[in-house]
Amino acid sequence: MSKRNSKSQGNAERLEQLRTRVMIEREGVESISSSEFPYHSSNRHQDIDYIKEFIKKFSVKIIRKEQYDMEFDLIGVDAAIANALRRIMIAEVPTMAIEKVYIYNNTSIVQDEVLAHRLGLIPIKADPDRFYFKQANESPTDMNTIVFKIEHECTFSPKAREDETDPQKLYIGHNLLSESLTWIPKGDQEEQYASCPIRPVHHDILIAQMRPGQKIKIEAHCEKGIGKDHAKWSPVATASYRLMPEIILKKEITGDLADKFAACFTKGVVEVEDSYVEGQFIKCAKVVNPRIDMVSREVLRHKEFEDIVQLTRIRDHFIFNVESTGIMDSEKIFLDSVHILQAKCKRLLAALDHKLREQERDREQMDIY
Amino acid sequence: MDTSGDNDSNSGEDQTSLFNENISDDLLEFATVKDPTSLTFSISGEDHTLGNALRYVITLKIRLSIRSRSPEVEYCGYSIPHPSEDKLNIRIQTTENTTAIEAMRKGLEDLKTICDHIKETFIRSNRLFDIQQ
Amino acid sequence: MNRDSYQGPQGPPPLSGPQSAATPRASDNAPKMLYNCADCGTENEIKPKEPLRCKECGHRIMYKQRTKRMVQFEAR
Repeated sequence: MSKRNSKSQGNAERLEQLRTRVMIEREGVESISSSEFPYHSSNRHQDIDYIKEFIKKFSVKIIRKEQYDMEFDLIGVDAAIANALRRIMIAEVPTMAIEKVYIYNNTSIVQDEVLAHRLGLIPIKADPDRFYFKQANESPTDMNTIVFKIEHECTFSPKAREDETDPQKLYIGHNLLSESLTWIPKGDQEEQYASCPIRPVHHDILIAQMRPGQKIKIEAHCEKGIGKDHAKWSPVATASYRLMPEIILKKEITGDLADKFAACFTKGVVEVEDSYVEGQFIKCAKVVNPRIDMVSREVLRHKEFEDIVQLTRIRDHFIFNVESTGIMDSEKIFLDSVHILQAKCKRLLAALDHKLREQERDREQMDIY
Repeated sequence: MDTSGDNDSNSGEDQTSLFNENISDDLLEFATVKDPTSLTFSISGEDHTLGNALRYVITLKIRLSIRSRSPEVEYCGYSIPHPSEDKLNIRIQTTENTTAIEAMRKGLEDLKTICDHIKETFIRSNRLFDIQQ
Repeated sequence: MNRDSYQGPQGPPPLSGPQSAATPRASDNAPKMLYNCADCGTENEIKPKEPLRCKECGHRIMYKQRTKRMVQFEAR
């Protein structure tokens, strides 16, 4: 009887593990998909309000935050939502980027179209919220366009020695850098952006290398856009998530085996501690920081650990890494992504109502005839 | 940076107001059918981002039994018919007690609620982190 | 082979009469056609039917200058 009880308890535990964990096995990953759906593992009717449940469980933990790089955990959310937010951060949070390039002169060896492409990829420090999307039929205004100019010429340095070979000393202006992009304020942009003049995020991006006599004269127009259209508008260098790793020890690992065990993981994940057992100190392995583990599965290659260790990942614990290109703060990029997902819902709700009204009207018309 | 919530709510809102006038008309399409419990919604300009999230929220309302009371979805799935066409199809089938349109509306509202909660929780945690630093 | 003895293809003989007299006036108004010598880089103005030769070094290869017209590109 007791054996049966413990077995059913073990089964329940196993089921719970399959429900909440992604299992990392020797040859692959198992129990991958979420099973948090009604009737997935039981036919009994459970009257659960999943949304209320979500609100109760969900939490956010900020782990590390710099202005342009942050790590945070979303706990208690499904991959569908986490992935939507990640995708929006990469492809749908708008920024400003150079879109039209008017080349008046370019005698450098960089071809016009290559030069234009390179200019497009330069991150422009301008608050996208303060600009509109420029529609195809619209003409540029101070509300949808930022104008930059480059006038650059390379010359011989008069101070250079006769036999000089270092281009740095021999020439003046042989490196065309992003700092040469000068902002031409239009309309009331000058006053509007007095506190935060519009400029390239980095001053030292190499645009072209030149030699004496070569000239570049360009006007460039920035427009608001999204990463879906072209990657130059993506506000993030990377926006990614991974699931929280978990290392379960079913038995204590002691002695020299502990050192071997620790060596199977990323440094700092498992620590070997001295513990006092039966009048003597023995080495004992302890999992201290599973978060930083790369989950290499090295430990599963060793026979001696086979039944002692279980690797899993927590299915609803997302570790987000958002690294900004420097245009927006990382936290703002994430918040914008949530706003945009919400805006999509609002738009669709409005469209749904609109469509229903339209159908209602059509039906009335039909009734008249 | 100001993360007080009411201040930075403009970017998303701006987009709504920007799109509302011109796209609303052919943003969403669905046929008028005799049987209101099964419908395919065709949404233009959306992809897996919204498709999978919406599918997930609506699937949470799955009910097999006709006896149960609250939201009743029998099937919900999405597809992108062709990658070169900027279109997303969401198929919903419900029990007799409700309609596919209602399920869709409930799904969108739930997703909105989820977004709201994520935003609030994030802002709160963020502020807490700032204070602790 | 002696480079200088080489004669490139010749154009039709110069026309005489009023048409010919009008030509220099027309080119006065037209933008100057400037070429860069491939050897020394000096700017040379070359008029129609003039020999192709750098006035500084006598080199016979010239590069046409880039158009002064603005060219528009999409930064993609």
